[in-house]
Amino acid sequence: MRFTPTELTIDERALQLEVREFLAAELPPGSHEPGLGMSARSDRAFSKKMADRGWVGMALPKEWGGSDKKAVDRFIVVEEMLRWGAPVGYHWVADRQTGSVINKFGNDEQRERFLPSICRGEIGFSIGMSEPDSGSDLASVSTKADRDDGGWILNGTKIWTSSAHTNDWFICLVRTTPVEPGGNKREGLSQVLIDLKNTEGLELSPIPFLNGEHHFNEVSFHDVFVPDENVVGQAGMGWNQNTTEMAYERGGPDRWLSPFSTVEQLLRETQGGDLERPVVELFGELTARWWALRNLSLSVARLIDDGDAPSVESSLVKEMGTRFELEVIEKLVELVDHELVSESESLFQRLLAQCVLTGPGNTIRGGTIEILRSVAAKGLQGLPA
Amino acid sequence: MTVDSLITETASRLFAEQCTHSAIQLAEAEGGAPGIWSAFAETGFPWISLPEEAGGSGGTLLDALEVLRLVGYYAAPIPAAETGILGGWLLASAGLELPEGIVTVAPGSRADTLMIDGDGNASGSVHNVPWGRHAERLAIVRDGLVASIPVAGAHVEHATSLAGEPRDTLTFTNASSDRAAAPAGVDEESLRFRGALSRVALMAGAIEKMSQLTVSYTNEREQFGRPVAKFQAVQQHLVWASQDAALARMAAESAGRQANRGDARFEIASSKLVVNQAATRATKACHQAHGAMGMTQEYELHHSSRRLWAWRSEYGGVREWSNWVGDAAIEAGADGLYPLITGGSNL
Ligand SMILES: Cc1cc2nc3c(=O)[nH]c(=O)nc-3n(C[C@H](O)[C@H](O)[C@H](O)COP(=O)(O)OP(=O)(O)OC[C@H]3O[C@@H](n4cnc5c(N)ncnc54)[C@H](O)[C@@H]3O)c2cc1C
Repeated sequence: MRFTPTELTIDERALQLEVREFLAAELPPGSHEPGLGMSARSDRAFSKKMADRGWVGMALPKEWGGSDKKAVDRFIVVEEMLRWGAPVGYHWVADRQTGSVINKFGNDEQRERFLPSICRGEIGFSIGMSEPDSGSDLASVSTKADRDDGGWILNGTKIWTSSAHTNDWFICLVRTTPVEPGGNKREGLSQVLIDLKNTEGLELSPIPFLNGEHHFNEVSFHDVFVPDENVVGQAGMGWNQNTTEMAYERGGPDRWLSPFSTVEQLLRETQGGDLERPVVELFGELTARWWALRNLSLSVARLIDDGDAPSVESSLVKEMGTRFELEVIEKLVELVDHELVSESESLFQRLLAQCVLTGPGNTIRGGTIEILRSVAAKGLQGLPA
Repeated sequence: MTVDSLITETASRLFAEQCTHSAIQLAEAEGGAPGIWSAFAETGFPWISLPEEAGGSGGTLLDALEVLRLVGYYAAPIPAAETGILGGWLLASAGLELPEGIVTVAPGSRADTLMIDGDGNASGSVHNVPWGRHAERLAIVRDGLVASIPVAGAHVEHATSLAGEPRDTLTFTNASSDRAAAPAGVDEESLRFRGALSRVALMAGAIEKMSQLTVSYTNEREQFGRPVAKFQAVQQHLVWASQDAALARMAAESAGRQANRGDARFEIASSKLVVNQAATRATKACHQAHGAMGMTQEYELHHSSRRLWAWRSEYGGVREWSNWVGDAAIEAGADGLYPLITGGSNL
């Protein structure tokens, strides 16, 4: 394991500047309610504007509507969007992972069907991994696909599905071959694509968040027909594909920037005032930690561009980054030291209220920190003393 | 700009050979390790980054910081930072002669009383002087002048850091010094930042060593019929320590790269702050994972952990540097905060 410091090239810095100018023009501070990192609102018009700049699916091949850009380029665009609290929700999953999965494992017909519309910011994806009885132990998923003429018949339930009510498509991990007694649970799984809007037998019901917000859904399948052309890659190889997909999810700026817009807003609201030393010290501590974490996270993106598969590194960054997010929130709450009101006049306090209520999910979504530690610990065992 | 890999290889080999557990132990008992120092000095390593015309070994600041990282990794009980990028740097940049022996600096204590009069005569005390008792010269910068004071005539009172390394009080009475004008960029503030940068490099090495030691110990130590590293609760310590090792090394190397180019105050301040905190977390995790063995003199963990406890407080603790970075953040303002994080001192 080795994280090598890296810096932005001249072209990369030009991209950073371009993104900043775009955001300053589109969403000047005060003109919009910033989101908390990747939990930001879904806004199709905004996704479209980003896509017009070539910033959605930018790492995908030109042939399919992408820009053949690198992981570092995407890192630059994404970090600016997230720290700004821009409404990236609609294209988020498609841009971060589904586009890459279809490109890597799908066939040309699937690439043709999905990638250009992903890159135009016109299609939103949800992730169907978790089930009521399968969380951390993902290989135990039991949504069952039975063979039928030209496809599969699906029965089962996916749960905790973020934004299935606003997205268009669903990429699901399902069991296409039953596990023999004593067999390997990781075999016989497949990834399938399902239309969330026009599928007979698909039932979608909201699971309100603890604060009443509609984020989660339960999606159940009652004899849903999935044609063969919607199976991604090889039937039965879903576990490996899914593991690759999760690697795209880990270690990026979305794992450490969630409370940034809140901290930035605190600075905006206290600017010009006489700040007490503990407040100055807190700004110092958070700034320094973000500086160091960003350097680590950026080095992971560079490793990916150099052809490495830094799975231990990205698990370490994600585990550390999401714990840092919670630490930021705790420190802000201590600093405020009075009751928070979700309708506060102060944008900072509104954001902090939101941070407190949704923060616990940060160290759970996309694999809990406990599971990430197990992954990382295995990687560490090989280290020389 | 990268480090010459030959430096890493040669210094690693030298330290691995010289800085055995018993040699470090002996250095502590005797208050120094002249043998290790002369082996180190023979290679010219102490003077890396000081120009050859001034009697240095040439090379870049990055090379010198890589050597310091390895000094930290191997817990080498030698005044490498003081002789090189701190004291040696002061003397060389003012055109004063570099002595053959050890140079040290006064890190700055409230209790210091040292004064230098118009004729260059020094009187008074300086405290917590690293390896003061072994130094040939004390280098001082103040009021636009660099002074080089021979230590031979000073009264030396022994004191030690938490790691058992000399941190002495030197008292001078009318000691004559060599003086020269300090060029631009060489002053008390820049020495303090360099001091912090030296500690960051040393600490990055020590945290990495400590975290690797903990991985191997917990894989050997068995309880309940299996290596304790198989327990998730122990794995948590391993993962957290290795994160802090990675964070510290990233911070140290990023700050070093910037310092090699020019103004790096933001990066140095941020790295000292982050690495101080990483040292606190990682020593806690590594000690916990070692059980009672880590509490003994016989086992080597303390060479790293005690050094980290000493270095985290030298050249500014968490309070000092969080105030510095906090002021920079406030000056950048809300719109400038993220650009500060990504652009640092180049902003
Ligand atoms: C905000 C949010 C959005 C989400 N969005 C989606 C989505 O869009 N699509 C989707 O498929 N899923 C989604 N999830 C679900 C998420 O992937 C799961 O919550 C996660 O994988 C953990 O599963 P679980 O909640 O069932 O917890 P469990 O697996 O039941 O775990 C409970 C506790 O036990 C611990 N634990 C379990 N096994 C082990 C072990 N082997 N070792 C140590 N500790 C263990 C866990 O770490 C946790 O602390 C989302 C979750 C959140 C919070």
